[in-house]
Amino acid sequence: MKARSSVVPSYVRPAPRRVAGLPSPMWTLVLVAGLVAALELYARSGAVSRLDLIPVSEMVVRSVELLGERDFVVDALLRSVLLICASFAASAVTGVAIAYAMARSRWVHRAVKPYVNVFYALPVFALYPVMVVMFGTGVVPIILLATLFSVVIVISHALVGFESAPPIVTKLARSLEMTRTQQLRKILLPSALPDILAGLKLGLAYAIIAVLATEFILATTGLGQVVNRAYNNFDTVDMYAGIVFVSVFALLANLALGAALSAFDWRRR
Amino acid sequence: MSARRGTAWIPPLVLAAALVVVWAVTAALADSAVYPGPGEAMASLWSDLGDPRFLGSVADTARVLLLSYVAAIAVGAVTGMVLGLSAFWSRAVLPVVYALNSVPKIVLYPVFLLMLGIGDLSRGAFAFVSGVLPMFLIMVEATAGVSRLHLKMSAALGLSRWSLLRRIVVPGVLPSLASGMRLCFGLTLIGLLLAEMFSGSSGLGYELLRNLSLARVENIIGQVVLTGVLALLPTLALQQLESRIRNRYEVAT
Repeated sequence: MKARSSVVPSYVRPAPRRVAGLPSPMWTLVLVAGLVAALELYARSGAVSRLDLIPVSEMVVRSVELLGERDFVVDALLRSVLLICASFAASAVTGVAIAYAMARSRWVHRAVKPYVNVFYALPVFALYPVMVVMFGTGVVPIILLATLFSVVIVISHALVGFESAPPIVTKLARSLEMTRTQQLRKILLPSALPDILAGLKLGLAYAIIAVLATEFILATTGLGQVVNRAYNNFDTVDMYAGIVFVSVFALLANLALGAALSAFDWRRR
Repeated sequence: MSARRGTAWIPPLVLAAALVVVWAVTAALADSAVYPGPGEAMASLWSDLGDPRFLGSVADTARVLLLSYVAAIAVGAVTGMVLGLSAFWSRAVLPVVYALNSVPKIVLYPVFLLMLGIGDLSRGAFAFVSGVLPMFLIMVEATAGVSRLHLKMSAALGLSRWSLLRRIVVPGVLPSLASGMRLCFGLTLIGLLLAEMFSGSSGLGYELLRNLSLARVENIIGQVVLTGVLALLPTLALQQLESRIRNRYEVAT
């Protein structure tokens, strides 16, 4: 009603605090609850076969049960977590190092930058079969591919960070005759830190995606393989439980790293 | 200007040439069946390209990719713009979409298979979902970022909703739309290839895994190169488009 009484169109008015008595975070909850309830009702209504969809409550119950199974925790969860950590650590270190080399040398910058720009247009996962033939279905191809997939986003963010150091500070460093290590530690790293952290956050998300996707397509164990195996065995309950578990796991991992990293971010203090 | 542009191409080409040389030398030294050199890979790619079944696979992938890409761009852009116009609803809906987007979507692919069956529909739908979420997010942020000054001006001129969209919002979000189109192309293609690798009866991803079970590495590498080239051409064109649009429409801040 208010909207009609005002001559100011709604798009220039400040956003309302509440719509229908609820603030926006409550609406987020309403939205999620509504989606879950709709799925639950649809699954229970009998309009869809139990082989295709099960109620959300059963998915959640089963995925909590999975946490109590030793096979699942050790073979799938722990293994995938270790793979994700290993590839994330590798891409964080090499990514920042490559970006530093690019910031230092014009030649390296010019040689690498075009590839960084187009990298995510290329379907890297096509390389996975090659790596499997060369290194077997063990952990090596998964770590290699996940590192490759996540390192480029770290590079591009860290590079933006290294280049954001104000020229006046770089000049000051030269007149103070600082060594390269001193410049890196006292100027480049601190000024690049917020961008590096943003890159690392995305790097983790990409590492998770790559590890789970490769396990899903072709592996013998791991979280992704749990879903794949359940699908192939027509075990719909386990399949949905695995999907719910993986989704919640990825969400929590990303949120946790985001919270941990923003503690170091001086721009947000 | 042209001279400078000429030298800018040298370092990346030198790097690429160095990598190919390293590849050729190590392959010659290793002399192993699972590590073919560039020559063998290109030769097998050439013979693959003479095979009508393989060409059919390439055409299948291209057709499904085109359809799902166009759908992802259109749906993502329009819904993103509609949501972006309302700050309140953006704040309510965005957290859910960001959360969905951070989930590794490939594990959801079996659901697509159960609901849509094995075939073009399920892999196309999966590729669509891989592309539409990022496009939607980019467009919501872009629409929310339309200059407030422009919005106030159009309010003062009493523009209707429709002409506000046409004259202020759409030109304002065009640069983001162009970069979204470039980003989503890669994401849609990755989604499609993953889907084809998991289950398919044709398509480039299917060919890759079929050669894996036949242990024909030189064919796989040849196809990887082909996929890279096929992905690169539209990307370069989209990059060109993006820089043109940016030159024309970007508001200097």
